[in-house]
Amino acid sequence: MSEIHVFYHSAMATQFQVRLAGEEKAYAAQAAQAAFTLVDDLENKLSRFRANSEISQIAQLKVGEKLRLTGPVLACLRLAQKIEFATRGAFSLSAAALKTQPTKPLWSLIECEFSLRCDSGKLEFDLGAIGKGFALDGMAELLREWSCPEFLLVAGGSSILAGDAPADNAGWSCGLGEDNSPQRLLLKNCSLSGSGLAVKGQHILDPRTGLPGTLRHRAWALTDSAAESDALSTACMILREDEISEITTKNEGWLVFLQEKENWRHLGLRPMPPVA
Amino acid sequence: MVTPSLTRREFLSTTAAAGAGLLLTSCSPDSNSKSAANKASVLNKISIALIGCGAQGQVLLDSLQVIEGIRLVAVVDIWDYNRNSNVRRLKDNGFDVKGYHDYEELLANEKDLQAVVVAVPDFWHAPVTNACLKAGLNVYCEKMMSNTIEGARSMVATMRETGKLLQIGHQRRSNPRYIFALNKLIRDAQIFGRLTAAQAQWNRTVTNDLGFPKHSEIKPEVLAKYGFKDMHQFRNWRWFKGLGGGPLSDLGAHQIDIFNWWFGTPPKSVMASGGLDYYSNHDWYDNAMVIYEFPLAEGVARAFYQVQTTTSAGGGYFEMFMGDKGTIKMSENPSITKLYREDRADSWDDLVAKNYLRASATERPAGDADKVDVRETAPLLQYDIPVSFAKKIHQPHLENFFNAIRGTAKLNCPADEAFRSEYVIHKANEAIAAQKLIAITAQETEA
Repeated sequence: MSEIHVFYHSAMATQFQVRLAGEEKAYAAQAAQAAFTLVDDLENKLSRFRANSEISQIAQLKVGEKLRLTGPVLACLRLAQKIEFATRGAFSLSAAALKTQPTKPLWSLIECEFSLRCDSGKLEFDLGAIGKGFALDGMAELLREWSCPEFLLVAGGSSILAGDAPADNAGWSCGLGEDNSPQRLLLKNCSLSGSGLAVKGQHILDPRTGLPGTLRHRAWALTDSAAESDALSTACMILREDEISEITTKNEGWLVFLQEKENWRHLGLRPMPPVA
Repeated sequence: MVTPSLTRREFLSTTAAAGAGLLLTSCSPDSNSKSAANKASVLNKISIALIGCGAQGQVLLDSLQVIEGIRLVAVVDIWDYNRNSNVRRLKDNGFDVKGYHDYEELLANEKDLQAVVVAVPDFWHAPVTNACLKAGLNVYCEKMMSNTIEGARSMVATMRETGKLLQIGHQRRSNPRYIFALNKLIRDAQIFGRLTAAQAQWNRTVTNDLGFPKHSEIKPEVLAKYGFKDMHQFRNWRWFKGLGGGPLSDLGAHQIDIFNWWFGTPPKSVMASGGLDYYSNHDWYDNAMVIYEFPLAEGVARAFYQVQTTTSAGGGYFEMFMGDKGTIKMSENPSITKLYREDRADSWDDLVAKNYLRASATERPAGDADKVDVRETAPLLQYDIPVSFAKKIHQPHLENFFNAIRGTAKLNCPADEAFRSEYVIHKANEAIAAQKLIAITAQETEA
């Protein structure tokens, strides 16, 4: 097996990792640095904790006002809209806004103007359940541009995005749950995200009700893109099992793992990746 | 001395705490702005191009994409990889832009331009800016003005000869929070008393030199034509003499400019220590510590500046102005900004009431000296600037430039004003090399 170079970077209130195989170390370090620079740029645009971010600017919009968006922010919000629709509202950027507002604020993307319009309420977006995944997707695109396709990207341990497998390997060994979990998958060119209560406790609001609504201790989602897996895993914390089955049937690229005591089950039509 | 101001339109598009809006507007009125803003909506947009799509060019592009009343028609870069990827991304986001290899190709082909934004390596600032000014364009040029004092001086001369606008990219000069702090807190209310010292810093962790994707190299003959030895030097020009000015120029320029701006005068001397102690493949100092002496009317104020590229320790980047009645720790990052009141200073309650400041609680009145009421421990009061700023941090400075082109504002950092800072930043690098105190006269700092 070729040497795997590992690089670390703090961003988005967690630690990102780039693991690169099949590449000389000095070049791998430069590629990783370019990927981390991209994460920092996305954080500047997407974080609600940055006063000058576009997300902070969106929060200042009054009803009827519009904001011209840069490409990455528009792309991320487009994805968020799509996933909110696909999960029947179980994922929403506006979940946290329900702590301060009686109803979910509404917004529209004006595609021909590359803008967002505030339709009601105050758009207090929280991209905590999609931003890290979106960043991983951007890093992956950049690393492929750098001719570094054999990568594993990690955002805080809750989302990973696997590129090509290292030479002579079937995939990157990724576990579900605790360190050295016995439930391991060999992943390549897909993303796995997990959500749960172990670190932050009960912190997930049901955007449909504004109340804490978690139905399980942990959930994982396997999809092609990290933005999707990140958001879907959060949604699966509050979706009933029959809802998850229906959603994954309609989205054939999505696979969901649920844990019941020591057993894992998967829901969805996407073929199971090889088990490590 | 230029007192940067925001037009009414710029003010109204920033966000201020309730009640502070009027205070802000009264801070820098621009009586012509309303009619001018209406006029701008019916006139053609200002056609602009970005010359240089590197790291700083990307930051400026983020703002240029969201500013109203301009039309971005072209981007320029000698690196195909950078230029083509930016053209592609801009087209995806609704901008019909062309890509050009260099500024001469741009000027030869785009005859309807009114302005350019220049973000090429420092040693190209003077040639590109001078050529664009002479071509009849208004120019926003990133700081440093040049890698040499002579280059910077030539830019001021060309600005004067052509009568065109030349704004230098010290973006804090148009930041509403900085303008408010200077005009209202320091000058108007004088809440920090006599300023006796300042301190600023920008430290960064060790990083790898910038690389480039395989198969994206610029041909050696092209690199040589534009003054670069190789791709490594092209990507890391900031650290090479003859191309950039090192960390003092890259990071320190912004903050040393704040010393000059807020003290209202250039320093009378500089002494400094620094060295190339860490990176074996750079030319410029990796760490530098500088002390300036500013001759204020009340007496000398000393300002210490440090920029380290071997550690990120020190609590972010900020400029701190210290007086005998209080201190302001200012930063582009509002979460780092802090205000401290000396115990000997008068209460700031009236300033809170007048919306000069925001306080975490109301100060408990001392009452009669012979009586006291006992209850829970009162927390120490925290103060903040009542101005928030929901735009990209470079946006107001670019907007000020475009408003100046429209005739509705004055430049907040014209080249002759920026030259005063430019000169003393170059002198700091010179002081490190000379290992001695260098005297600076006010006359020297005039272009």
